[in-house]
Amino acid sequence: MILLPCPYCGPRNVSEFRYVGEVSERPDPNETGVEEWRTFLYTRNNPVGWTTETWFHSAGCRQHLIAERHTMTNEVRASRLPEAQLPEGQEERATGGNVAGDGGGAIY
Amino acid sequence: MVERAPVARSPIAPAPPTTIEYGWEISARSSDAELKITDCTPLAKVLVLAPMYGELARALGVPFGRAARDTHGTLVVGSGPGEWLLLAAPGTNQAVGKRVEVVQDEGLVSVFDATHGRALIRITGPRTPDLLAKVCAIDFADEVTPDGAAFRSSVAKLVTDVVRDDSGGARSYLLHCERSSGQYLFDALIDAGDEFGIEVDGFVDPGDRGV
Ligand SMILES: [Zn+2]
Repeated sequence: MILLPCPYCGPRNVSEFRYVGEVSERPDPNETGVEEWRTFLYTRNNPVGWTTETWFHSAGCRQHLIAERHTMTNEVRASRLPEAQLPEGQEERATGGNVAGDGGGAIY
Repeated sequence: MVERAPVARSPIAPAPPTTIEYGWEISARSSDAELKITDCTPLAKVLVLAPMYGELARALGVPFGRAARDTHGTLVVGSGPGEWLLLAAPGTNQAVGKRVEVVQDEGLVSVFDATHGRALIRITGPRTPDLLAKVCAIDFADEVTPDGAAFRSSVAKLVTDVVRDDSGGARSYLLHCERSSGQYLFDALIDAGDEFGIEVDGFVDPGDRGV
């Protein structure tokens, strides 16, 4: 079983999440060529080792999160909210699962 | 022509005998079993979406992951980040919604009456954690989910809002899901609670206590 630590909900069974994909940088559509755009859309690194990916907690807080996962061991060493989702004026929100102390978030 | 008031029906078939109270067809059954399950769908359910740290969030006073009663007896549940579920006595949905709408908030606020769009189930008794452990992966120990804890997770493979809401010293949980899944969840909980002697108990308006 893969246990994913949601920044809001804490560690949850991976069956509660939807896999979105490897995090990649979106090129500026006005500056990029066909090749680069194609690479962005279809090509993935798919490494054996650490990778950074986006997940969606569909059965929980219904938020997207970024997780660093080892593709061989399924160990997750970090998870955080995507920058665009952070409430205004709030620093990066990362957690190993317990967010009880900050006035919001689940307690397990 | 005789004028008749419309009767609301829960998605969960009421255990006979049935009666009509609060404008809802409900089960008139009464159980004194240690482990009881009640269809609480007649309660008013109002969903609120608002910025997580805005004025309205402050007015509601309950963060994500917690549940507490306000001065009107409404159970305010922090069901998600920037998401609240308000549970109140049957027929009070409009009044509850209005109380939220008057709060000025700089961000986008959405208030939605989900009374007839969701199902709500209460299970009560000392063995409720054992029952839930069979259908949900969350730790139901006191240290992890004390009275007043709220979360959304998979219950019997169904996305469900779970609220620990002890009642008169007895361990009790509210489970809230989409209306179309109400009967399924009710049956799944009865199936899981069978070995602990679960019995259906009819809905009674909690009166002054609010919810
Ligand atoms: Zn989550």
